[in-house]
Amino acid sequence: MRQSLVVANVLARPMRTLATVLAIAMEVVLILLVVGLTRGMVNENAKRLEGVGADIVLQPPGSSFLLASSTAAMPEKVAELLAGIEGVSSVSPVMVQLNVQGGVGLIYGIDLDSFTRVTRGFTFLQGRAFQAPYEMIVDDIHANSKKLQVGQVAEFLNHSFRVTGIFEHGKGSRVFLPLRTVQELTGTPGKVSLMFIKCDSPEEIPPVVARLKEKLKGYTILPMNDFVSQVSSASNNLVALRYFLNTVIFIATVVGFFAIFLAMYTAITERTREIGILKALGASKQFVLAVFVKESLLLCAAGLIGGVALSFAGKWLLGRVLPSLQVELSTDWMVKAGLIALLSSSLGGLYPALRAARQDPVDALAYE
Amino acid sequence: MKNILEALDVKKVYKIGRIEVAALQGVSIRMREGEFVSITGPSGCGKSTLLHILGGLAKPSSGQVIIDGEEISSVKDSARTDIRRRKIGFVFQRYNLLPTLTAGGNLQIAREIFGNGDRDDSHVQEVLKLLGLEKKVQHKPSEMSGGEQQRVAIARAVINKPAILLADEPTGNLDTENSHLVLSMLQELNRTFGQSIIMITHNPEAASVGNRLVEMRDGRIVPHERDVSFNRREDTIYI
Repeated sequence: MRQSLVVANVLARPMRTLATVLAIAMEVVLILLVVGLTRGMVNENAKRLEGVGADIVLQPPGSSFLLASSTAAMPEKVAELLAGIEGVSSVSPVMVQLNVQGGVGLIYGIDLDSFTRVTRGFTFLQGRAFQAPYEMIVDDIHANSKKLQVGQVAEFLNHSFRVTGIFEHGKGSRVFLPLRTVQELTGTPGKVSLMFIKCDSPEEIPPVVARLKEKLKGYTILPMNDFVSQVSSASNNLVALRYFLNTVIFIATVVGFFAIFLAMYTAITERTREIGILKALGASKQFVLAVFVKESLLLCAAGLIGGVALSFAGKWLLGRVLPSLQVELSTDWMVKAGLIALLSSSLGGLYPALRAARQDPVDALAYE
Repeated sequence: MKNILEALDVKKVYKIGRIEVAALQGVSIRMREGEFVSITGPSGCGKSTLLHILGGLAKPSSGQVIIDGEEISSVKDSARTDIRRRKIGFVFQRYNLLPTLTAGGNLQIAREIFGNGDRDDSHVQEVLKLLGLEKKVQHKPSEMSGGEQQRVAIARAVINKPAILLADEPTGNLDTENSHLVLSMLQELNRTFGQSIIMITHNPEAASVGNRLVEMRDGRIVPHERDVSFNRREDTIYI
């Protein structure tokens, strides 16, 4: 005989329930996917930097941890100075360029030999390394997302480059061009953005850093682990990024609020007579309030579950359609998204529920 | 027999804009436990207003209402709601079942509101049997006839053993056959369980099932009484 009034009410209007649940699910999806994309890209970038395999990173004075936004450069010849320092095994100068053609990403201009010495080289899945000035190599994720094959031509820095090889991802950038070509095309001959340094052994890292700091005042010299965490932290703490995320969260919260508010407001108007019946049966204001708040929370819970499921589906779909986009769905943000959805649903459901609780029973019973 | 209900000089004035309309102009009534009182009168005479006030759904403008020893007219909303929950059962002309719940669900919600939703349901079975509803427990209101719905509404009203059952035109929406059925069930509840009942009706035939008849006109009780049963209460006062 036991039947929940709350569940029965929610099931009585399946389309409206579905629409409300979907709106809350969208709120959760919006938060989880935008945060997941941001975190995924930042962390994936950090992982790729780690994957380079260098021990120390050196940047010129005035440079930024955010490589894409750094325009500072240093003479390539610094590499020769570094190579002579005790404990340094090899040095690879790199010119980093922001590419906005066909998407946004970083391009590394490298000297193939020195880069191979520092990183132990690329693992080619197809083809070979570049040999000519207008040849390039790309990683498997970039090749997949752009449908590139060895031998095809792609546009970078307003010039055409032939793809000569596709390598396993995780080596700093997704696209590598010859250093000289990048310097020439960007009008910075003899200049580079950073140096990857390999030490004789891991124990040599701290003394080498100290020696470098002594010789190159004002330069940013960091062990790779510290550099990676600085990159992640700088990306996560970007003011613009924080504003962007906060704006998305605010919009999502407003969407959830109005979804619940409208659904519950309509429900209460429709069910005025039922509120009168409950009151005639002796239901207190708290009882009526609880019925409608529980309804809001039930819709919120369904929306939250649906939102998390849809976020995983979205992540899978993005992985298929845009493999270069990494989405990181973290448990802490699922909890945060849940709390945000709960807050917006509670606020959205509160006014209609209070209105229901305050209904005059005689007026409510006379409602047509 | 103790007094189950006392209303003393109850007045109710509605304000519609600047106009004041006196719906009740000093109604006094006393009812003994186990009585079945029918109240009749033309439309607009104040019957429903009186019922709402006796049932604690509305407050009188002045006067006093005592239900089973508890003063209901001057207390706060929350206290009135509490008395309504413990002492009063309502039956309406339009059945007023919760449409999303089954018949069983409608009885259950009344028990939950009363606060005994989890206790033994032997009384529930007894009431269902008396009202012939054993096979309708899983049916929603939309799956039942008007007569069946009204029987569920009666079951819901008496499920928590209220001190008094207030019925507002319980046969107003029913055909003759179902009207007779509902009226006989109200009589049965009165006889079998000693349920005190006040019933408002336009229908003289329906009014005759009670053991006392009260007539209202222009917001007042007409100062005469008709004993319509063998069970006349000599000490009942009409003013």
